Amino acid sequence: MSQTRKQLLIDPLVDNNPITLQVLGICSALAVTSSLNVAFVMSLAVIAVTAFSSFFISMLRNYIPSSIRIIVQMVIIASLVILVDQIIKAYAYEISKTLSVFVGLIITNCIVMGRAEAFAMKNTPIDSFVDGVGNGLGYGLLLMCVGFFRELFGAGSLFGIMILNPVNNGGWYVPNGLLLLPPSAFFIIGLLIWGIRTWKKSQVEVREYKIQTLEVH
Amino acid sequence: MAFRNFFNSIEPHFEKGGKYEKYYPVYEMVESIFYTSSAVTKVAPHARSFVDMKRIMTYVVISTIPCVFWALYNTGLQTNMGLSNIASSDLEGWRIFILQAIGIGINPNNFFANIAHGFLYFMPIYLVTLLAGGLWEVLFATVRGHEVNEGFLVSSMLFALTLPASAPLWQVALGISFGVVIGKEVFGGTGKNFLNPALTGRAFLYFAYPANMSGDAIWTPVDGFSGATSLGISASEGFETLKNYGITWSDAFLGTIQGSLGETSTLACLIGLCFLLITKIANYRMIVGCLIGMIGFSSLLNFIGSDTNPMFSMPWYWHLVVGSYAFGLVFMVTEPVSASHTNLGRYIYGALIGFMVVMIRVLNPAFPEGMMLAILFGNIFAPLIDHFVVMANIKRRAKSSV
Amino acid sequence: MSELKKENIFIKIKNMPVDSIPKTLLVAVALCLLCSMIVSFAAVNLKSVQDINKIRDKQKNVLQVAGIYYKGIDIEKSFASFQPMVVDMEKGVYSNKFDPKVFDDKKAASDPTLSVLLKDDPASIGRRSNFTTIYLLKNKDGSLDKIILPIYGYGLWSTLYGFIALEENCNDIFGLQFYQHAETPGLGAEVDNPKWKAQWKGKKLNNQNGELMIQVAKTSGLKKEYHIDAIAGATLTSNGVDNLVKFWMGKAGFKKFLENLKNGEV
Repeated sequence: MSQTRKQLLIDPLVDNNPITLQVLGICSALAVTSSLNVAFVMSLAVIAVTAFSSFFISMLRNYIPSSIRIIVQMVIIASLVILVDQIIKAYAYEISKTLSVFVGLIITNCIVMGRAEAFAMKNTPIDSFVDGVGNGLGYGLLLMCVGFFRELFGAGSLFGIMILNPVNNGGWYVPNGLLLLPPSAFFIIGLLIWGIRTWKKSQVEVREYKIQTLEVH
Repeated sequence: MAFRNFFNSIEPHFEKGGKYEKYYPVYEMVESIFYTSSAVTKVAPHARSFVDMKRIMTYVVISTIPCVFWALYNTGLQTNMGLSNIASSDLEGWRIFILQAIGIGINPNNFFANIAHGFLYFMPIYLVTLLAGGLWEVLFATVRGHEVNEGFLVSSMLFALTLPASAPLWQVALGISFGVVIGKEVFGGTGKNFLNPALTGRAFLYFAYPANMSGDAIWTPVDGFSGATSLGISASEGFETLKNYGITWSDAFLGTIQGSLGETSTLACLIGLCFLLITKIANYRMIVGCLIGMIGFSSLLNFIGSDTNPMFSMPWYWHLVVGSYAFGLVFMVTEPVSASHTNLGRYIYGALIGFMVVMIRVLNPAFPEGMMLAILFGNIFAPLIDHFVVMANIKRRAKSSV
Repeated sequence: MSELKKENIFIKIKNMPVDSIPKTLLVAVALCLLCSMIVSFAAVNLKSVQDINKIRDKQKNVLQVAGIYYKGIDIEKSFASFQPMVVDMEKGVYSNKFDPKVFDDKKAASDPTLSVLLKDDPASIGRRSNFTTIYLLKNKDGSLDKIILPIYGYGLWSTLYGFIALEENCNDIFGLQFYQHAETPGLGAEVDNPKWKAQWKGKKLNNQNGELMIQVAKTSGLKKEYHIDAIAGATLTSNGVDNLVKFWMGKAGFKKFLENLKNGEV
């Protein structure tokens, strides 16, 4: 192992964040971040699915025939997603209504498949589990960041608790309706990526082209 | 020349190696307000022309003067007419206080009273736009070490003219900030933006604070006054009913109607267009394309007809004068940076916008006005259009050279 | 002998390379079996909890429109004061064909034997169920306090589902509440705005002659008691609400039932 378990857990938070560096899993990040409650449950769901799918796939990695490798991964991930979906429907019904299809769509979340294929197929179950938790946490962290801005400035509350009293409730704050619409998450994620890459220069991609400059003779 | 000497004396501090090297953009900005830049092209090939960026931008600002003038007059007129139903004892607000203190009053029949009242609405919005947007401009210019660009003067003027007179000033500041930062600076500043910054800011406000940017109550800043725009009336009841509201085609053409500050008058926009075309700042191909797209598609919809949607029967000459079509056509479609750069591409770009305007106005139930969204849509497609035009050109030439 | 043979097969498979066809099939089948077992086990076991959630959710909406819901309330206990009834929409009387506790309105609306295809369909709902579950809130002495009727129809982007609560005279509105919709935030979604909803309280459905008067419109000259101000900037959502309220309170909706109820002929 070139990485310690601690690194496996911490790296995906900022240095190798699945959303801001690898730009994966954007679709659900747009859809489920209009309130922190929902973003939180979604994060937990993704952490659980990524961790356990990596764990099980890693356990079976020596028995999975390479010809049906992707399908086997999909079956395991899909089963876990359905399991999570059923549990949320049973114990967090209100939130399951807002999450609607997006729990089901964790199956198509590139982060889960990506970790299974890139990491779990080559590493031990425990390492894979830690890696899954780390990547899920990285995803969750960003979801919570985006959700924080969207809920605070879009609805004036955090976790449903009123912080800025909105006008239609007799307060002073005029909620920003754009933030309740999914495209706003694009702007916020974009700005976060900008911020992180300004902070950590190593994340900036190498330009594919270079504008020629003429020397003055 | 004492003034010039002052600049000469402080200039070394701002140049490379000077004490305030970082603030060179700020120095350059202040200096170039008074004097022409001394920097000239140093590298071959030398393209010498009187038309530099500064001149282009100045010309565009000049071309908006008819619209600004009309914005002042019509805002004042609508406000004063709205106020004429209110008892004089109920009048309040600092604007009315000033107007009455200096003896101009609020008589809607008095030309100067209208201009003055409109001025008191337009000026705060414009100043806030300049201040908030300018702050970002200077900040980015300082950090990146380039000069503050005159393009901002155009963006700020156009942005202010697209707002309703009742727009809260903090929203104005937020809107232009978004426009400048997200619409322009994140892509590298003027010349690298693929969206029109003024429209980006306006679209932000439209989606963020719809209650302050659409509806019937916001166009005339009088409490409790309700007046739908001619486009709003057309969308809900059909353009034929406009005459019941006392709006004729010539009213809409002249601009004595409800609407955002500077976009009610088609005539004022057309005067601006003439100026831009004569000075060759605006490219006529985009205008032609945009007109063809709008006229063609609206005529097609007239022909198809609909029982439930009154907008289907709206003829092209009404589409031209209501809403912000004319304003967008003259000042936004022709904006060179975010438009297509090939000649054929310009026709296609214009036509796409013309088509989308009618599409959104007529077929989309949620947004009565489509010009803003259509132009932003066109902006996004412009590079793609150019790509295909260039590719087709290469193919054609490769064939003929065999 | 046979035991040894079995052993052999097992060892044979075990020693096969992972990518051989039999082993591939074996892994695929085994995994599918295992996963389907886990999934169905979870689905079956959690179904009862999920069903209770659905019922609770509906009950909560009823409590909300009746104005007695607050956070942390015991929904089941409070809901006990409501009496669900199934109404025959054609005849305008109670029907005892179905158990109101389990009758599924939404399912019935798509069942051709239990619903009618609407010719005149202002609320854009397609089919209307012939039977609808309503809720009666009774006073302690058993007399009628409020009637809660389900309403739904199309706004701008989505179908709005909600309830309207009427006072015991079957004409005064107590409140209106949508529990599911996807209208534009800041505009159409203002149907959830408490200020806007408060307008409904005390408004009347019909005039003295029994004509339906209630309307959602821009400020007009109509008598205040039948008029609800449209939401500013959300013409199409307001029109949708106007249409659906008129539809459900009209002849194709609950009008007959409400008249019967008022006259005590249900």
